[in-house]
Amino acid sequence: MELALVLSVFRWAPGSPERVQSYEVAPREGFTVLDALVEIQRRVDPTLAFRYACRVGMCGSCAMVVDGRERWACRTLLGTPRAAVTVRPLYHFPLIRDLVVDMTPFAARLRAAGAAFVPREGPLEFARVPGDGAERQAIDAAVECIGCGMCVSACTMVAHDARFPGPAALNRAFALQADSRDAGRAARAALIASEDALLRCHTQANCTEVCPMEISPTQSILALRRRAVGDLFRGPSRAP
Amino acid sequence: MINGPVLRREWTTREGWRGTRPGMWAWLVQRGAAVALLGVIALHLYNPFVRGVQAALLALVLLHALLGVRALLLDFGLSVRWHRALLGGALALGVAIFAAVWSWRWY
Repeated sequence: MELALVLSVFRWAPGSPERVQSYEVAPREGFTVLDALVEIQRRVDPTLAFRYACRVGMCGSCAMVVDGRERWACRTLLGTPRAAVTVRPLYHFPLIRDLVVDMTPFAARLRAAGAAFVPREGPLEFARVPGDGAERQAIDAAVECIGCGMCVSACTMVAHDARFPGPAALNRAFALQADSRDAGRAARAALIASEDALLRCHTQANCTEVCPMEISPTQSILALRRRAVGDLFRGPSRAP
Repeated sequence: MINGPVLRREWTTREGWRGTRPGMWAWLVQRGAAVALLGVIALHLYNPFVRGVQAALLALVLLHALLGVRALLLDFGLSVRWHRALLGGALALGVAIFAAVWSWRWY
């Protein structure tokens, strides 16, 4: 007989206290955390709330904290049962219900870092940015961010400074600072060179460790920081 | 819009420490060594001939300095993909230097 696997799932709903509820599921080969949650919701407890969409590790909707670490539930295999597997929602985001968090602060952090493309004024022209050019290669990894929020959850500095834009926003700012088509680079450089942005990162690399797209926001932040230091001596320049 | 509670990693619980990564440990150990150094330096100034305090001073200085070098290398452009190896290297080098200095016959 196959041993049951215990999932200790964080529960919260408006008007009820936070609690951890344990569920038993029978694991199968290739069984993921998301499979287990779907099975619990369908057969045991239809009130359990969690978010998912693609189920194949592309969209990032099912990001949650499994056994203390940010992971995609759909890509996290449940191996041989040992101890109970803990499943919690992402940290540093307001809860909506159970494992579902409100991603609004994620967009707010992007805005706080000016991490949105600013088009140039005047007639529109085609930008010539070759795929193998230095400008594109510099941001090759950084542009792969899908906005799952796992880096924001893993970052300890986000918890300590509400004004810190966080890893994803600064990674996006890094990509935009390297974009010759962007007209907002000078303003953005001034915005992020503050005590609450680039200087707040302590190079713990928690964001880098958890990013499922293998992006290193830490690398992006350090590059922006080197650029900011360079700007102090030689004046603002064009690319990080 | 539901304005639910914001969860934070609770450092007073076991769950909060699960999944703590090498970069985080490097940062914590370096800061811990800095704080510990304050006490050990004070003890060393009070009586510089206590062997245990001398050993603690050497170990903490090495730990703090070598992890600082690790942070500097990353700041100056070494790829972040080396950060785990740098932590291992800093600890190994620290042990080697400590062993070399401590086993050296100074008198």
